[in-house]
Amino acid sequence: MPLGGVIIIGEETIVYCSAAAFKAIPIRPSIIRAYGRVDADGSRYLLSDNAGLLHLLVITHERERVTGLKIEHLGETSVASTISYLDNAVVYVGSSYGDSQLIKLNLQPDAKGSYVEVLERYVNLGPIVDFCVVDLERQGQGQVVTCSGAYKDGSLRIVRNGIGINEQASVELQGIKGLWSLRSSTNDQYDTFLVVSFISETRILAMNMDDELEETEIEGFYAQAQTLFCYNAMHDQLVQVTANSVRLVSSTSRELLDQWNAPSGFSVNVATANASQVLLATGGGHLVYIEIGNDKLVETKHIQLDYEISCLDINPIGKNSHYSSLAAVGMWTDISVRIFSLPSLELLTKENLGGEIIPRSVLLCTFEGVSYLLCALGDGHLFNFLLNTSTGELSNRKKVSLGTQPITLRTFSSKDTTHVFAASDRPTVIYSSNKKLLYSNVNLKEVSHICPFNSAAFPDSLAIAKEGELSIGAIDDIQKLHIRTIPLGEHARRICHQEQSRTFAICSLKNCQTSTEEAEMHFVRLLDDQSFEFISTYPLDTYEYGCSIISCSFSDDNNVYYCVGTAYVLPEENEPSKGRILVFVVEDGKLQLIAEKETKGAVYSLNAFNGKMLAAINQKIQLYKWMLRDDGSRELQSECGHHGHILALYVQTRGDFIIVGDLMKSISLLLYKHEEGAIEELARDYNANWMTAVEILDDDIYLGAENNFNLFTVRKNSDAATDEERGRLEVVGEYHLGEFVNRFRHGSLVMRLPDSEAGHIPTVIFGTVNGVIGVVASLPHDQYVFLEKLQSNLVKVLKGVGGFSHEQWRSFNNEKKTVDCRNFLDGDLIESFLDLSRSRMDEISKAMGVSVEELCKRVEELTRLH
Amino acid sequence: MWKAVKDREAGVLLPSSFASRIRSHRVASFDLSNHKEIVSPHNGAINSLQVDLTEARYLLSGASDGSAAVYDIQHATDYERGLIAKHRSLFVVDKQHSHGHRYAISTVIWYPVDTGLFITGSFDHYIKVWDTNTTQVVMDFKMPGKVYRTAMSSIATTHMLIAAGSTDVQVRLCDIASGAFTHTLSGHRDGVMSLEWSTSSEWILVTGGCDGAIRFWDIRRAGCFRILDQSRSQLGRRPPLAESTSKKGSVTGQSSSVKTAVSQRRIPLGNETKQLRTLRKSQILTRGPVVQRLHPGLSSSHNRATAHYGAVTGLRATGDGMYLLSSGSDSRLRLWDIDSGCNTLVNYEAMRLQPTKALQLAVTQDSSLVFVPCMATVKAYDVWSGMTCRTFRGHYELVNCCCFSSQYQELYSGSNDRQILVWSPPNPIIAEMEDGRGGLVSVADQDNWSD
Repeated sequence: MPLGGVIIIGEETIVYCSAAAFKAIPIRPSIIRAYGRVDADGSRYLLSDNAGLLHLLVITHERERVTGLKIEHLGETSVASTISYLDNAVVYVGSSYGDSQLIKLNLQPDAKGSYVEVLERYVNLGPIVDFCVVDLERQGQGQVVTCSGAYKDGSLRIVRNGIGINEQASVELQGIKGLWSLRSSTNDQYDTFLVVSFISETRILAMNMDDELEETEIEGFYAQAQTLFCYNAMHDQLVQVTANSVRLVSSTSRELLDQWNAPSGFSVNVATANASQVLLATGGGHLVYIEIGNDKLVETKHIQLDYEISCLDINPIGKNSHYSSLAAVGMWTDISVRIFSLPSLELLTKENLGGEIIPRSVLLCTFEGVSYLLCALGDGHLFNFLLNTSTGELSNRKKVSLGTQPITLRTFSSKDTTHVFAASDRPTVIYSSNKKLLYSNVNLKEVSHICPFNSAAFPDSLAIAKEGELSIGAIDDIQKLHIRTIPLGEHARRICHQEQSRTFAICSLKNCQTSTEEAEMHFVRLLDDQSFEFISTYPLDTYEYGCSIISCSFSDDNNVYYCVGTAYVLPEENEPSKGRILVFVVEDGKLQLIAEKETKGAVYSLNAFNGKMLAAINQKIQLYKWMLRDDGSRELQSECGHHGHILALYVQTRGDFIIVGDLMKSISLLLYKHEEGAIEELARDYNANWMTAVEILDDDIYLGAENNFNLFTVRKNSDAATDEERGRLEVVGEYHLGEFVNRFRHGSLVMRLPDSEAGHIPTVIFGTVNGVIGVVASLPHDQYVFLEKLQSNLVKVLKGVGGFSHEQWRSFNNEKKTVDCRNFLDGDLIESFLDLSRSRMDEISKAMGVSVEELCKRVEELTRLH
Repeated sequence: MWKAVKDREAGVLLPSSFASRIRSHRVASFDLSNHKEIVSPHNGAINSLQVDLTEARYLLSGASDGSAAVYDIQHATDYERGLIAKHRSLFVVDKQHSHGHRYAISTVIWYPVDTGLFITGSFDHYIKVWDTNTTQVVMDFKMPGKVYRTAMSSIATTHMLIAAGSTDVQVRLCDIASGAFTHTLSGHRDGVMSLEWSTSSEWILVTGGCDGAIRFWDIRRAGCFRILDQSRSQLGRRPPLAESTSKKGSVTGQSSSVKTAVSQRRIPLGNETKQLRTLRKSQILTRGPVVQRLHPGLSSSHNRATAHYGAVTGLRATGDGMYLLSSGSDSRLRLWDIDSGCNTLVNYEAMRLQPTKALQLAVTQDSSLVFVPCMATVKAYDVWSGMTCRTFRGHYELVNCCCFSSQYQELYSGSNDRQILVWSPPNPIIAEMEDGRGGLVSVADQDNWSD
């Protein structure tokens, strides 16, 4: 520092010392974790301690002579790992144990005496010490609930793929055929009416003064027929299209202003409109274009097409937001989409879709300044094309599968950006990021119609027609992963979910600062799986840590229990020599201790195993039976064990097979023999890998993560010729991940579509210290070969940051050896293919001998794994 | 340990420090293993031991009765009372074998790349290369004298040379690829008892002779390029800054006599540095103008430099290739800075070493401890302070060799009492069970006595 000298920060004092001066001040006992310099001359520093309290250290000085130190408490932030003073009292607090924050230091304290104002938070999931994959909404889509953060920033994070809709109101309504919202005047900010169309009637709902939806009437509307379309037109008018007529109604007086009747013998099949135009199709392939004037409807153009029309759209995508110069039309029979110019109705483009499924919905839309034509088929597939707005040309055709039922497309906006909602059996939101279309599924089961409904009571909401129900819900931010934070204020270390009682149980520890010293308290807590509130707590003994938790049931007992493994970590003991296994049952939302069993060490892992329980206790694997005592109570009774590990940290089971991840002796495979009631070692990996997590991929292949940020797989050699080979787990895959993996769990974050190929690929999710959640998928061999070829070609085209070689980075690397990555592919790298420019794609396609379209399709398939 | 595991999981403890913490903790708790025993088939003193370098799974031993054996130290052959793992030899090759050595085996080493080959050297003047799977000799080399020690470079990628020291003054390099001697290194004035390849450069070989000299050879060039001199010393782990600062004349503190000694000898040393960039880059900067291209081996004053009074009995380089430990028949252990070639003057506490036999030293992975066979015990010294950390007593007679498995933190020692002992962190489960059974056993013993 320019002043010269050093500052020494202790737990109880801060000392400034230089050749000339020595100043010291006492501070409240705390452990300072991070510091950041405020002034260039080094006279002020920000200090943050392990409770996240931010202090300002001021070195008072007269010119070069330091006269004293002063420390001032500013407020509370996340537990900081780094502090960077930016400018103008704005500070970035980087945290590896909680969310990073951008804070402003105010001159005046707020009501709570804090000078800190949090401007922004940057979500950080790390360190993920444990997580579980659950399907709380029971839709076939997994969510990850992580134990994240540490110290006071400990939290549970619910990570969900896709977009959530939080239902706010719902009403039972059967047979909804269409849904539109209307404003009472063109300039009105909010929607007032909700038009619900049924097979033979149209009902209008409106918000009343009490913010309730009640049925109302618009006199000018024809309510005894199904509405095909309605919209807010210019000049405070409303348009309603029914099978027989188009009606123009004043939105102020609600009276009919003008009417267009369908020619006799014909009825309107499909119709669409925007603020100044109506396009409708009647039987026989007639396409009628009507312009909306002030108080009148003018039929401007009428043509006849070769086939029947299945869907229409004139959503304005040009500069004029009330008028479209293009119309998209989907046809029966020849299965095509056509682009017509308006108002002349000249055919600009015709695109045959192929196949036998008719287009059910077309939509012209613009994302991030790029115009697209979306066309949804009756079988849940969706085409998207780039659209040239001046010539109407279509290019860059892509096809994706969103569901299995017909899709209805509708635009809506959220946070001033336009998105598209594809309503079907797998509702999806289509949005764009970095000029790439992305598809995010929605946490709803089956949606037949939606429309945006922005009312005063339900701002920025959607009206959703589901099976027998109309509901109004607010939509989450549009992004791929949605993360919900449940702050706990204590450090959750283990989590598990119990389906039967619909609860989570966690092992947590709380740092309590008493006046004299810091103490840790350990709990087993029960949480409701919907509200995430603590509903019951079981405190553990002093020095007793919760090390593992599972939900399991035992043979001959129908109850489902939570089992918790603990360790007594005594300060004078290096290795715990005592622990407990606690068995709880959930009764009336309370944790009831049913049985406990003392163990001779820390219970690092628990597994349900053939109706019994398998525990890893220090060096030993121990199997416990659930025994009925004479008095009807139950107890855990040790049945058999296996020793020979240095520390059996991680255990997974499958059938009678047991996989043990040792502290430093890699993976070993054990087998439980029923007849003999004994556990025997079958095979081992003789490499010295320091394990951090293990998982069983299938009967023969086991996945492990080790201390130097590598992943590897080993294979059981049960049909090898010699005993020696059978006793050896063969290393088949090696890969440098660059992340410290704490846990593997089977599961997936995406909805699995039964018909897609990706649906059959098993995946494992992992969570790391840095807060990364990743997916390991076991690919079929032919797909692996294909993608490996693609990867090796991509590596030639893509240059790493700083010119570092990808091959070198992904090489398995530990203290003993460095070997090339084998049998693992880098999914991120492969997916970056989609972001390449067309010319580079061509380059790769040429090298691969596979068309760009085929490559895109294969890679997109891969992206749907996560 | 749970605490360390827990901290690693939360990212508080870095994975690398987690590993080193656990390793050093395990080494600190070493004791005669309560769960592992090696059943020695040898009828003579165990002279040499080595754990294979690939998996740390197979232990090779060589004994004075001319036999060599291999044990699987990861997978026990049977268990005593279901608890104590007995590791019996997988095979033994001895005098009965058609190609076996006729006299004592003095050295055994694994082929560093895999466990398919191993090499034995014997007092019958032969070095034999064995195929592990068939236990047949695939190659042999006839040396001019009794073989004391053989060594192969664990980091070599371009050569497969066995360096061999014998009662002859010349060190020979035997090439497995061709089956012939490729080099004869002359310089020592007496037999060569110890050999060690550099752990940082595959071309550098260090030899220690019965003449008390430790010589460095670059096998790509003729002659030895350095001889360690016990009187040339530095204090501490780093060479003194004197070399660069002495020219400016602004030196503080250090004794000037040491410094002048250093600068005087600098000239011939700098000369070799030029030839050998791989080893000594730092000194190139400070090299003065050099006219003569003399090998120090030829300059007579340097040629007589000794590292020990008496024979050099053992050599071991640290894992990072920066330091060399040597033991001598003068009962001294010395730590040398390879970069500067100086004796670091670390004073290893009093010890008595066997004066007449080649010893095998062992160093832990992080170079914090060195294990030295001291008569009938093995002593563990702190490498940097020279303090005795532990003394392992268990053998009944002189210990000849010890071998450290850095992967699983176990120490093996071989002795004249024909036993191979395993030293490892205790296994608490067995310790506890033995306590529990102790009563029963003693009762049984009493019964026996009463008979």
